[in-house]
Amino acid sequence: MMTREQVRKTEGYIALLLCTLAALGGLFWLVFILGDVLVNGIKALSPALFLNDPAPPGVEGGGLRNAFIGQLMITVFATLIGVPVGVLGGTFLAEYARGRRIARVISVLSDIMVSVPSIVIGTFIYAVLVKPVGHFNGWAGAVALAIIMIPVVLRTTENMLALVPWTLREAAFALGAPYYKVITQVVYRGAAAGILTGVLLSIARVAGETAPLLFTSFNNSFFSLNMKGPIASLTVTIFQYAMGPYDDWHAQAWAAAFIITVFILILTIVGRALIKWRYR
Amino acid sequence: MPVSSRKNPVDVTFSAITAVASFSVIVLVVGILYVLFSESSLAISKFGVWHFLSSTDWDPVRESFGALTNIYGTVVTTILSLIIAIPVAIGIAIFITEISPNFLKGPIGVAIELLAAIPSIIYGMWGLFALSPIMGNYVEPFLQKMTTGIPLVAFLFQGTPMGIDILTASVILSIMIIPFTASISRDSFNLTPPIVKESAYAVGATKWEVVKNVVLPYSKLGVFGGAVLSLGRALGETMAVAFVLGNDHKITSSLLDAAATITVTLANEFVEADKDIYLSSLFYLALVLFMMSFITLAVAKFFLIRAERRFSR
Amino acid sequence: MDQLKIEVKNLNFHYAGNVHALKNISLPVHENSVTALIGPSGCGKTTLLRCFNRMHDLYPKNRYEGEIVLDNVNILSGDVDVIDLRSRVGMVFQKPTPFPMSIFDNIAYGLKLKGVTKRSDLSEKVETALRQSALWNEVKDKLGASAYELSGGQQQRLVIARALAVKPEVLLFDEPTSALDPISTAKIEELAINLKEEVTIIIVTHNMQQAARMSDWTGFLMLGELIEFGKTDKIFTAPSEKLTEDYVTGRFG
Repeated sequence: MMTREQVRKTEGYIALLLCTLAALGGLFWLVFILGDVLVNGIKALSPALFLNDPAPPGVEGGGLRNAFIGQLMITVFATLIGVPVGVLGGTFLAEYARGRRIARVISVLSDIMVSVPSIVIGTFIYAVLVKPVGHFNGWAGAVALAIIMIPVVLRTTENMLALVPWTLREAAFALGAPYYKVITQVVYRGAAAGILTGVLLSIARVAGETAPLLFTSFNNSFFSLNMKGPIASLTVTIFQYAMGPYDDWHAQAWAAAFIITVFILILTIVGRALIKWRYR
Repeated sequence: MPVSSRKNPVDVTFSAITAVASFSVIVLVVGILYVLFSESSLAISKFGVWHFLSSTDWDPVRESFGALTNIYGTVVTTILSLIIAIPVAIGIAIFITEISPNFLKGPIGVAIELLAAIPSIIYGMWGLFALSPIMGNYVEPFLQKMTTGIPLVAFLFQGTPMGIDILTASVILSIMIIPFTASISRDSFNLTPPIVKESAYAVGATKWEVVKNVVLPYSKLGVFGGAVLSLGRALGETMAVAFVLGNDHKITSSLLDAAATITVTLANEFVEADKDIYLSSLFYLALVLFMMSFITLAVAKFFLIRAERRFSR
Repeated sequence: MDQLKIEVKNLNFHYAGNVHALKNISLPVHENSVTALIGPSGCGKTTLLRCFNRMHDLYPKNRYEGEIVLDNVNILSGDVDVIDLRSRVGMVFQKPTPFPMSIFDNIAYGLKLKGVTKRSDLSEKVETALRQSALWNEVKDKLGASAYELSGGQQQRLVIARALAVKPEVLLFDEPTSALDPISTAKIEELAINLKEEVTIIIVTHNMQQAARMSDWTGFLMLGELIEFGKTDKIFTAPSEKLTEDYVTGRFG
């Protein structure tokens, strides 16, 4: 027979052991997934992957140049649209509307929008930017991704501006600066690292998005720089190739997955390091 | 309000620009609702609300569409994935906050965050190539064997284990939401004041008793909010499940059957929809999904705000 | 009456990172008395207090040297069960720390840990503890209410009742009134003085009047060292050390 104390302690040990196992399990998946992506991805890397466009199945030497360039263009344009809107919107909430009810409402709505299904954004953009034009186009993809970025950037900007001490603004006001100068010359500087982190993380977030591109920028087996027409992206290509029947498609899908994962992990790590370094 | 310098014309312009940027969020929410609603008006007028939600039809040839099979698939995969993910995520959070030696806290925290940053398409593809064969060849036959003859359970594992089914999709979905749920739970746990934990130790509680009786009750609002937030995310996840669910419009009691979720249906059929009523029905599905996730996320937000308030008082 | 409950012998304490927080402390704690630990911020008085129930064990890499003898047992030795120790040495913190439960469950918590499950036993012991902490009349009609509904002073008495319920032999107070208004403070002080019939009390305080009012013995610490220890009236009226005199007369600190 165990004493009551022993029972309590044993129960504790078992519970804590289970938690430890859960943590190990979580790490196990990370290693498993990253390991698979790493091994299969590196195996499929070759110069041709970056330099050539897709070849017909079975033909040697096909690459994903079109998808790399397409992905880059869509992401860059999405960033160019999403970041200014997000930063300015966050500025309004943290500065001009600070403490007002409307700021609270927009904050909460943004938090919700961050998690709204991205495929729904895709259908929305299809109706607004694809259907009226009559064909899929790169702009639609960029706008869809921008819409996903805006709430992320907006919320981080708001939070980071709020961290800037109020006395700093007062000091600038005391010198006779108008509010916009206080914001752009003093407050932004104080919050720059945080805002940059938000931007990096939002790029990381959209760079891996697939669902909102499926019926906006669609896909294109040919090299194209024309944002007004359908344009290839790595993520949609992964979806198409992985679901396809050919082994070399699968290999290229792994390679694309590898590149995208590495890109996103680097952005994430840099972003987190930046904010740790600044707000220690 | 320190906005006395509004008279400056540049300042007025700048504040107006920022206001427009921030109202774009409201415009987007309203715009999405309006557009989805108007695009699905054809389907709404043809099938109505109740009939659409309750019909299991999904027949492009006969042009008869209902959402039930999709909703069913969405709800089942979501719930199943939460059943797997939440206990594991809470376990991880407890490990990080209470058990792990200090030098491991950082690295494990970072690893969890990285896992959360990996895009869903990677999970989906990995699920197709790595997990699905394991599920189909080992896990599912094993589960089937273990449950044969047990009433109320056996029917869950009927059919031929293929690895392309509700169970596999739910497992991938759970792996995907675990890091997210774990990091919210960890943040909630960290809100428990150390002094309250210490005073539980001071009456002679063991570490587990402190977790069970103080930390968990203290952070339950936050953990619950986090779980609902994960639910909202899982509802709308597309790529993690699109590879391994099979896109089969039916209601099935076996977890080893293929099914369809709203997201998977949209991903697979949106581009192929050749008739107006077909496309309109897909928009109708998107509208249903938008409302489901919006409401879920709003509820989650409500709990998370209340959890925060409790501590800022 | 004047029996020793605890004896601290050559105690050294290092925080993780090798911060030498307590240096060669030796002092007696008399049974059924109130011992006050005073000194300027950062002098180590709270650190010393938290040695008595080994609270420092919760954080890695803290190190004790020397002995703290409680009833002939060195509680710093490795084979002491800290869980058991903490149910013998209770603690009350700077701020009220009610658990997220009802008033009744807060007080019953320690009892339940010890294995008391019978409702009637629990009720009886909860009532006794609440009467001891002079809270019974204020809460007897709402034992099921959340502990958060009480005022700060009431919460602090609730926490004392919770500590008393498990019948500890020693009760540690870590600046128990620093977050309270004067009236609540007076109640807590009176309560602590009455309690010494049953438990041995060690209290850390910033407030010298409080130490003078409440305690029988006083130890004055500075920079991790025990400068002087003695009867409270002696420490406050005729200290033997210059540093002590400067501190109690308010010349620094």
